[in-house]
Amino acid sequence: MALPQGVTDFLNESAERAGAPPPSIEVDLFKTGVLDSFALIDFVTVLEEQCGIKVPDADVKPANFQTITAIERYIDTHKG
Amino acid sequence: MHAPSRVVANEEIAGQLGLEAEQIFKSSGIRRRHWAEPQTTTSSLACVALTHALADAALAAEEVDYLLFGTMTPDRFIPGSASAVQKSAGLREIPCLDIRATCCNALYGLQLAQALVASGAARRVAVCLAEIQSAWLDLSPAGGTLSMLFGDGAAAFIVSNEPRERAFQIVDILLATDGSYVDDLGIRSPGTEFGNTRTHGAGEFASDFDARMNGQAVILQASRRMSAACQALLQRNNLTVADVRWIVPHQANANLLVGLARSLRFPSSEAGGEVVNLLEDYGNTSSASMGIALDSLRRTGRVAAGDYLLLPAFGAGFTWGAGLCRA
Repeated sequence: MALPQGVTDFLNESAERAGAPPPSIEVDLFKTGVLDSFALIDFVTVLEEQCGIKVPDADVKPANFQTITAIERYIDTHKG
Repeated sequence: MHAPSRVVANEEIAGQLGLEAEQIFKSSGIRRRHWAEPQTTTSSLACVALTHALADAALAAEEVDYLLFGTMTPDRFIPGSASAVQKSAGLREIPCLDIRATCCNALYGLQLAQALVASGAARRVAVCLAEIQSAWLDLSPAGGTLSMLFGDGAAAFIVSNEPRERAFQIVDILLATDGSYVDDLGIRSPGTEFGNTRTHGAGEFASDFDARMNGQAVILQASRRMSAACQALLQRNNLTVADVRWIVPHQANANLLVGLARSLRFPSSEAGGEVVNLLEDYGNTSSASMGIALDSLRRTGRVAAGDYLLLPAFGAGFTWGAGLCRA
């Protein structure tokens, strides 16, 4: 599935702030500075709002959201 | 407020910590912090701050009839450091109590002081908040990301129901704790949980005497809990974030403060809101940080009568909360 526009917008804006190009699906979002420990919290909030899912505290870790592919996989497995 | 005169810039410690000076700033908003000279006691910093607070309130030391002292870095393990402040500040033989609610000490101190005044147990309560964290820091690359954050400093409040010009009114304070996170932020020893203190500090247990932090858990819980506490506090006082002129938070990390303002949808400075952020010059002074921020703001003369101030905090425990004051 494609990411909702709001999620893509968040990642693109975050990439712009980090001086990185809009992320492709396999790029490491943490290594490129698109996400970090603080941005991850905001990102999860956007993900919950845009995708109608609840991300439990234990799941809020970089491994689950390392790449766009990983994010799509996470949404797929948690959507009701 | 009071801060030691020695200023330590990122450039001075970055190499020791295995970090770049700019990297410290980018990840925390901190450029420098104040560190006390060796042998300085935490109570001595608190005494200076208390002297300033008494002068500001036009009170003599003998007029204080209760002392609360919030610190994580006491002069001694036993007794509490409030006793040292009582002696050095020339207070009468009044009740003196240490509180150990970490970075929420300012909120706990204000809530307890307010309750003491409301109950009639005290007329004027001094709340001292001070830390000398530099004496505890691991200045090696192993402790770099934690040690880069902390500074030393002190603040003091006088809480009373006597009217004073330019005093802030404590409207409400909300506090909460979830003890399941005790190992995610704090220092394990000395204490009873980890064995004999005389022998425990050696070998594989030496790190139990060092500060430890699970950064991801702290950031996540701090972001969510402080935001929720602010919203609950405003709601139960029939206010919204649009009614707040100033956010005066515990000064944990600049990135956390930006995230908090965003999650609260707090108006930008152009739209009339302002988050007080002193991290660049003071770092994280834990117990003292909110008091230092509040005093610094007050001294600018920019707070207008009737302004609401929102005071969020989060600390080891985890314990968190928010205070609401009005100028």
